[in-house]
Amino acid sequence: MEKNTFDAIVVGTGISGGWAAKELTEKGLKTLVLDRGRMVRHGEYPTTTEDPWQLEHGNKPTLRDFERQAKQARTGYVVTPASKHWFVDDIDNPYEEKYRFDWIRGYHVGGRSIMWGRQSYRWSEMDFEGNAKDGIAVDWPIRYADVAPWYDYVETFIGVSGQNEGLAQLPDGKFLPPMELNCVEREFQGKLKDKFGRAMTIGRAAHLTGPLTHDQSPQRSSCRNRNMCIRGCPFGGYFSSNASTLPSAQKTGNMTLVPNAIVYELIYDAKKGRATGVRVLDAETGAQTDYFAKVIFLCASTFGSTQIMLNSISDRFPNGFGNDSGELGCNIMDHHLGAGASATVEGFDDRYYSGRRPNGFYIPRYRNLGKEKREYLRGFGYQGGASRAGWSSLQMATELGEDLKKKAQAPGPWSIGMGGFGEILPYHDNRVTLDRSRKDKHGLPTLSFDARLRENELRMRKDMINDAAEMLETAGYRDVRIVDETYGIGLGIHEMGTARMGRDAKTSVLNAFNQVHACKNVYVTDGSCMTSAACQNPSLTYMALTARAADHAVRELKRGNI
Amino acid sequence: MNRREVLQRVAVLMGGVISAPAAFAVLNGYAKEPGPDWKPAVLGEAELAVVSRIVDIMIPRTDTPGALDVGVPAFIDGILKDVYSQDARDRFLQGLRDFDAAAREAQHKPFVKLSPQQQRTLVQKSQDAAIADERASSEHKQKALVQEIRDAAMLPQRTETAPATHQRAFILMVKELALLGFFTSQPGATQVLQYEAIPGAYHGCLPVNQAGNGKRWAT
Repeated sequence: MEKNTFDAIVVGTGISGGWAAKELTEKGLKTLVLDRGRMVRHGEYPTTTEDPWQLEHGNKPTLRDFERQAKQARTGYVVTPASKHWFVDDIDNPYEEKYRFDWIRGYHVGGRSIMWGRQSYRWSEMDFEGNAKDGIAVDWPIRYADVAPWYDYVETFIGVSGQNEGLAQLPDGKFLPPMELNCVEREFQGKLKDKFGRAMTIGRAAHLTGPLTHDQSPQRSSCRNRNMCIRGCPFGGYFSSNASTLPSAQKTGNMTLVPNAIVYELIYDAKKGRATGVRVLDAETGAQTDYFAKVIFLCASTFGSTQIMLNSISDRFPNGFGNDSGELGCNIMDHHLGAGASATVEGFDDRYYSGRRPNGFYIPRYRNLGKEKREYLRGFGYQGGASRAGWSSLQMATELGEDLKKKAQAPGPWSIGMGGFGEILPYHDNRVTLDRSRKDKHGLPTLSFDARLRENELRMRKDMINDAAEMLETAGYRDVRIVDETYGIGLGIHEMGTARMGRDAKTSVLNAFNQVHACKNVYVTDGSCMTSAACQNPSLTYMALTARAADHAVRELKRGNI
Repeated sequence: MNRREVLQRVAVLMGGVISAPAAFAVLNGYAKEPGPDWKPAVLGEAELAVVSRIVDIMIPRTDTPGALDVGVPAFIDGILKDVYSQDARDRFLQGLRDFDAAAREAQHKPFVKLSPQQQRTLVQKSQDAAIADERASSEHKQKALVQEIRDAAMLPQRTETAPATHQRAFILMVKELALLGFFTSQPGATQVLQYEAIPGAYHGCLPVNQAGNGKRWAT
């Protein structure tokens, strides 16, 4: 038992787990870090230097890929020869869906920090106040001021490029130099300001556009603008656990990292009223091991952590670990997307760009701010970009032969497009449950999802489309086309909410420091903790909350409170 | 039959309109160079000859390599085998038969026996009609969506792709695969277009001739 006993256990090595590992080990705790997937060291990114001609079938997925990764393939972009190895096999990792549900994930060390979108935005005061003001779900137990110093801290460590804009709905941050808007985007930015009074800014992305202001990440270097990020970056140009937090944790000498370790249950000691450890199944051998620690951080992803908690049944917690409120597994949120517009831009024929900027523009939320009252609550932000058409636009060219090749050589026409990222409200009935009758290949019960968009989101989508079209038309762009793509909750890969924070143990699972209300030595700091979804990409907030929770945990340990 | 014999027969079937080296290139590998025993997995010899001739018309060798030089026919055969669904493969092959039948009907000869000019005319005619058709279908869909959104207070959550009202014509299936195969090949990406593996910097607003060599970027 002694060799399996640590000060702390962190479950998961993604965005949140990497941060928990770094903070706890740097504060001196002997920490066991578990991941259910294979080991991936920084640099072990198999397709990262492949040129287009080295990827089979022009990087198109095969029929077999579609069979094995049918749900992952709903994204339309992750199941390709270049990146499919970062996403789970859906046959080996099944789940049920009552309504279309997209659970997009990868099981390997680093988790989705390897394939994430890198967009990094702060939540604002209005996001933390929103539930209380609108009478929606429960109030966040924290406010912007509680998180702000932690945003400063994580931004400084990971490096976020961006432009401060002084907006109440999108707080400024500690940014590296912003990436550049291209000519058309700059023009559009001016028109939006003049004609609509709306802000547009370059995306805030966790890429190094200049040196970090610290020397703790020698494996990071500047972004090379390859835009092949989803394959993993050998330059450490963007933040990932593998390139950043895990090496820092490793350096302390306090981390024991064990891959292929599926945590399936928390061990609860009713007499002590605390969790004493975790039960682990070896993903390769099936061997079972118990590990013990004073404090446990669940960072296994929103549904990963929820699955472990739902599966941790005891006399004290017959409905799932810490689930006195009945809210565990409920309130699934995401950002709904796929609604927007695009247009052709005339002029600028003599202008082009070089480099593949791994970023676009961002139009922060402008709906339902101040006194405005739309037919729905909350709002959406847009992410978009302008570019000159690539070779695929030749599909509709009538030229043949030499004329087609000539046309191919010249840069194509400019176009611009944008799609909304809309807030989804927390609905108790949007939920995930554990289905003990359906087991996966490890014999573990699987998840069953029942979640869909409701009236508020479906009303908002109309604005997401109409506003995009209106802005492009007013800017004078031609051939404006609207889109309303298929969507299942989860497709935004921003799933949140199934172990929410709150002030009251009767209506929430976690307290203001991400501790399980009913078991204070278990912290849950991934997306499951979120009480509302806002419309900003959430990863930066997970990092800030994780660092804050780790700081709290170490202080509580020292005080002997946990 | 080995690879050399396959190519000789394909060259013959193509009516000698491509040179022997180019005929060799018909079976040149793409991402993976096929071995000497390579044979098309899906396309028969006659079918391979038709596809080869069409992609050669679309993207010929000029002062830069063409579709046959980079092995687009083998690339297409690989896509048909590994990437296309059974349904899409069947539609492709049926489309190919219909295309050849149209040649026979118009000119009383199979497509590969027509003169290069006749072949080009047929490809152009077929392509123009298919593009017009696809544009009309796309416009129709866009109008319907605009109408739907104008009239609705809220939108439905679309969980399933709507059943296709339009299916891509054979000639545009070939074109799609020819463009994909050619412009993701090294010669297509680096000689016809320009490609930079590691750009380094991003410059958002340059005169075209200062954006690399001024050609369209491959990626």
